[in-house]
Parts: sequence; structure tokens; C-alpha cells
Amino acid sequence: MFANFRLSFAWLHTWFGLVLGFVLMVAFFFGSLSVFDREIDRWALPQTRIEAQPMPSFDKILASRFTTITEPDPEEREAASKRVTQPLPEELTPAQWGAYTTHRDPVLGMYVGFAVPNSTLPDDYAYGEITIDPRDGHVLPRDQLALGSAFFYPMHFSLHITWYDIGYWIVALSAMAMLAAIGSGVVMHRKIFREFFTFRPGKKLLRSTLDLHNLTGVVALPFHFLWALSGLIIFAGIYFPVLDRMMQPLVEAHEREEAAHTGLDTHPSGKPGTLASVDAMMTAARERWASRGVPGEIGFLFVNHVGNSNTYVSIYRDSTDRVATAEGLHFEGSTGRVLFEDPPAGPIETVNAFLTGMHLQQFRHWTLRWLIFVGGILSSICIATGFIFFVEKRKHAHAAEGFGGSRWVDALAVTTVTGMVVATCFVLVMNRVLPEDLAHRDTWEKSSFWLAWLATLVHATWRSTAVLQARMSNAWAEQSWAIALLGALAVVLNAVTTGDHLGRTLAAGYWPVAGVDLMLLAAACVAAIAARKLQARAAEVVSVSPEVPDYA
Amino acid sequence: MHDAVLLAAALICTVIGMGWLALAMDAHWNQVRATRRSPRTVIILRVLGAAALVASLVLCLLADTATMAVLVWMMLLAVAALTVALVLSRRPRMLAPLIAAIPQSS
Amino acid sequence: MATATQSSWHVLSRVCASIFGSYAFSWGFIALGASSLIGFGTEFHEASSLTSMLGFLIYLAAFCWAFIAASLARVWVVLAGGGALMTAVGWWVSRGG
Repeated sequence: MFANFRLSFAWLHTWFGLVLGFVLMVAFFFGSLSVFDREIDRWALPQTRIEAQPMPSFDKILASRFTTITEPDPEEREAASKRVTQPLPEELTPAQWGAYTTHRDPVLGMYVGFAVPNSTLPDDYAYGEITIDPRDGHVLPRDQLALGSAFFYPMHFSLHITWYDIGYWIVALSAMAMLAAIGSGVVMHRKIFREFFTFRPGKKLLRSTLDLHNLTGVVALPFHFLWALSGLIIFAGIYFPVLDRMMQPLVEAHEREEAAHTGLDTHPSGKPGTLASVDAMMTAARERWASRGVPGEIGFLFVNHVGNSNTYVSIYRDSTDRVATAEGLHFEGSTGRVLFEDPPAGPIETVNAFLTGMHLQQFRHWTLRWLIFVGGILSSICIATGFIFFVEKRKHAHAAEGFGGSRWVDALAVTTVTGMVVATCFVLVMNRVLPEDLAHRDTWEKSSFWLAWLATLVHATWRSTAVLQARMSNAWAEQSWAIALLGALAVVLNAVTTGDHLGRTLAAGYWPVAGVDLMLLAAACVAAIAARKLQARAAEVVSVSPEVPDYA
Repeated sequence: MHDAVLLAAALICTVIGMGWLALAMDAHWNQVRATRRSPRTVIILRVLGAAALVASLVLCLLADTATMAVLVWMMLLAVAALTVALVLSRRPRMLAPLIAAIPQSS
Repeated sequence: MATATQSSWHVLSRVCASIFGSYAFSWGFIALGASSLIGFGTEFHEASSLTSMLGFLIYLAAFCWAFIAASLARVWVVLAGGGALMTAVGWWVSRGG
């Protein structure tokens, strides 16, 4: 497109980086928070502030809980209704049961997969989910929002845009743009080795911003690349469903072969059957792992073809001590004998399992998980400094021409950098402020997040008129103050509404809540320091050509 | 499974290694010491830096299974490089102990 | 940043080729690759995982190439045309062709 490929790459890096950078900020910031999703859940749901629990008894607790899930969740039913050729019947048949937990979970997630008849997809299910307290089995209210695992975490891979799953595709395109930005960035950065350690904060803003952009981009380059790529690979079934869509005969031949080889039928028999003691299967699984020198807890329990004669139970170990996801042990449902054990993965599947496990980091290694969190924050800084550089480089020229491009980029940058953090702190505050037994509390919390974010956009747009005169927008400093205030307020409200102030949580060593409080206080401090520096910088008057019209 | 002491030692090794690699560059050497140095010193610093990074990898492998250790090491490299860059930008003289053993006039 | 000496339509076409053309090319690569590997006896999941993981890297390469290739026409022919061709051949191979 240009005279040489370095210029073409520079264009690619700048424009895809700019447009999709706003999506990438969301993906990397909420991805970083997702490292601590369970801990944020504890903070947001005070009634779940107990110690992590292992998978409870199936026979005594789980079995009866599954039968309370009689229909899929409303959004699931709605999405399924778009995939079928005939209207969905009122009653759907439960086909699958699943229960999952990790070493960090005090509460247990359970779901029922209801078979979707007449679907355009070969094997289609709609899901209904509940969360239970594993100590006694009581079901947690549906409208209590697990801010970490049910809000921040899905935000980072779907933007909560579920209309035909468009959110997943937008994030995928931005992940691909990230990979291209890394490659093109390396090509553009001629002195990549010489300037590996270069950061000159004393120089002009344009130079020091570029230094920081390059520094955060290069030192964590393997992290940026691996996490963007592994995120795409995890959802390969959504992005490249080639075999399912185009080669059903191959898929079905494989399914028949696998069913014959493993004894695990692909389709329900249609004849009624019983389920033997699953507790006995769970004990057998634990004993098998212990006898191999890898004792462990159950991470995922899955029952397929519920109620049929060929029902089977799959049990997976919670793989806390390795990166890759675990292999399963499959039991015949009616008798409890072992039907099949997944063999160690082949070379390609090993790579796939490693990349998936690496990205999801459910393993027990707090140092590594903290380092991954830091990596995500570095990515966020890289993207944010990219926006700042873009505006700084152009705002004088744009101001002279009377063109509003830099103004809008600055407004959007404020919204996706400080604005996003403001909204995050705001929803945590609202989580404490709203009455505990408020109906549809989850909807209230989600709405408060979106409204706060919208408010930061409005504020940023208003304040960015300064950029039209090549000055710095006050929105940066003002929203930083908002972060400082809201972050501190959230910690105070936690203490006031739950009594679990830092004195108590630190003394008891209850790190999930103490950790979130400490992070909020640290963020508030950093935001306050930043706000003062930004205010000082914004007050500097930059000389501007007198021909610039006044856009106030 | 993983040993906090081994990982702390790995972090220190990585930071020192990155420090040596940085000081092998003229621009950063001049931030710490005004005198010139011989090409031999540059090579020594690069070798020391690389050796320290390898030592840090070994410490990581002692602390964890191989796949976890490699990930930990990769992230430690990033954190260490960032730390050295920030120190060089604020208080470069803090890295002086890394070249204390190198005589002034070499 | 100086815009290209090309028109806006050219730029738009490049962007579409990079996003959609690369997708077609990657889809075709996976279709042909997976069906061929399975045809040669590679285990189903191994073949499927390998081709889709490579598919993302192929997409990245195609995406970048769409911007540095001199001829826009060539980009469209290779990415969209090549993708369609590989998809068709892959489908044919999967049917035992």
C-alpha cells in the first residue's frame, strides 16, 4: 500500500491499534481483574466469605440440587430459540449435569444442559445454572451478581454483547489486531535492542510516552503474544467451526469410532436407566489419583445422557499443580465401573491443553498468577500510552487546522482508560450501597456500571474541547480523582456494611477480601498521585497559533 | 511444590542479570559512571548478564515443574527488565554496585 | 501520519481483504488441512487442533501480507480465491474424493 513495507506496517499498527485498541483495553484490563475473579466474588457476595470447599457429596447434596434446575436460564432459552427450525417446546429435557470447582472456590457452580430439539447445530444445549453452598447445599439467590466471575470475566472475552455473539467476534478481531500490532511494532521500532531499557520521563510528553509504550510493549512481548493467541485458540470452536459446519460425515464417523473405542455413547439411548452411587465413583477417582502419586480434588464432574440407560459420569481432577488442563475418568452410570480413562494427550493436544491452561491459570501458584496480572496491566499501559502518543503527535496540527480528530480520540481514550476504572470502582461501591434483598439486584449493579461508564464518556467529551486548542484535557486528572475517591469509598463501605474491615481480614488471614481492599487502596493512592501530576501538567499553557478558532 | 525462597532468589538473579545487560550498553553505562570502558568490559558484562539470566531459569526449574517454571521465568524477565529501566530513569546510580568490581580505569 | 497515495476506496478494500479475505484463506487452510490429515490417518482431535492453531497464525500472516503486498488485486485473488479453492478441495477430500 505504501512505498515500503515499514510504512505499511506503521499504518497498520497506528490505525488498527487505535480503532481496536479501545476493545483491547477492555480485554486486558478485565482480563487482569479476572486473575482474581473468585476473590472479587467473595468481596461482592459477603455471604460467601468462607474457606474454599472441595466438591461435596453427589448422592447427599448435588443430586437433589440438579433436579431443582427445571429450565434453562432466560437468555439461554432466547439464544436457543434463534437456532431452531421449529418453535421451542415449553418443556425441555435435561440431558447433561455439570458441577465445577477449583482450589479457590468456597461455592460450587452447577448447571443442567437441556437438549434443544430441531436445532441447526448437530449437538445443541441450553443451560440453566445455579450456585450452591457446598457445606449444606442451599442455593444462592439468582439475582446476586458474582462481580468477578460473572461480570468482569465474561466482559473480557465477549464485552457482554450477546446479540448473535458479536462481542466474541469483536474481541477476536482485536486480539488478531494485537498480534499484528506486536509484529508491526517490532518492525517499526528500529532500535529495539538499543532502547530495550530506555525510559526518559523527563523529556517532552511525546518522547516519554513513546518510551513507555515501547518499554511496556517490548519487555512483556512474549506475554502479550501468548495471551492474545491462546485466547483465540480457546474459542477456536466459535471462530473456525470448519469440521462441524462442513464435514459432518467425518465428525460422525469419528464419534462412532470413539463411542465404540471408549464405551461412551454419543447419543442417549432413549431407554430409562438408573444412576449408581456417584460418591463411590468420586472416591474411586481420588483413590486412583492417589495411587499414582498425584493425589487431588475433583475439579469437574459431568453426567451425560441424564436418566438414560447409557448414562455415564466423567470426573476430572482439579489440576492445581500443572499448567495443562486435566484428563478425565469415565464411569458407567448404572453400575459405577470404570468405562474409560482418557490417555495422556497426543503432542498437539498437549500444546493445546498447555495454552488453554496457561491462559485460564486455574493452577495453584500465586507468584505466577500475580505475575500474569502484572503482565495484563503492562499490556493495558502499552495500549493506553499508544492512545496518548497518537493524540500528542497530532493535536497541534489538528488544532491549527480546526480538525476535531485528536479531540475525539482523546475523549475515547479517557473513557477507556480512566473511565473504565471509574466504572469498576463505582459498581463495587454500588454493590455495598444497594439493599441486600433488593429484587433484581444483579440488574441494578450491571446498570450502574454501564451508566457510570457512559457518564465518564460524557465528561470526557465535554472536557476534551481543550484538545482542540492543543491543551491537555482536564478529564484525565478529574477522573483520576474520581478513582481515588471511589476506591477508598468502596473499602470504607465494605467495612461499614459487612464489618470485614482490613483489621479483621488481615488478622484472620482472609486474603480474598483483604486483597481486594488493599488493591483498592493502592489503586486509590496511585490515582491520587497521578491526579495531582496530571493537574499540574494540564495547567501548563501551551502556545497556540492565534488563528485557531475557539470551540468552547 | 514451589519454594518462595528459590523464586525470590530467581527474581534477584534476573534483576541483576538485566542490570548487567543494560550496563553493557554505552548509554546506560554513562548514566552510572562517566569514564569510558574497554571492549573487554562490555563482553564481560554481557556474559555475566546472560549467565545470571540462565541461573535464574535454573532456580525457577528447581522450584516448579518445567512448564510452570518456564512461564514464571518468562514473566520474571519482563518484571526485571521493567525494574531496571525504571531504576535507570530515576536513580541510575543505584546500579553502581553491579559494576563496583570493575576498576575505574578499565 | 501521511495517508497512502491511494484513494479511500483502495484503503477500504485493503482493510476488507485483510479481515475477510484472511478469514476465507484460513478457513480454506483448515478445511484442506484437517480433511487431508484425517484422510492420511492422523487422529481426529490432533488433526483438528493442529489445523485450527495453525489457522490463527496463517490468518495473522495473511492479515499482514494484505497490507504489504504491492498489488491489491493479487491480495484478493490469493486470499479470497485461494480460500474458496482450498475450502472446495478440502470439502471434496472429506467426502472421500
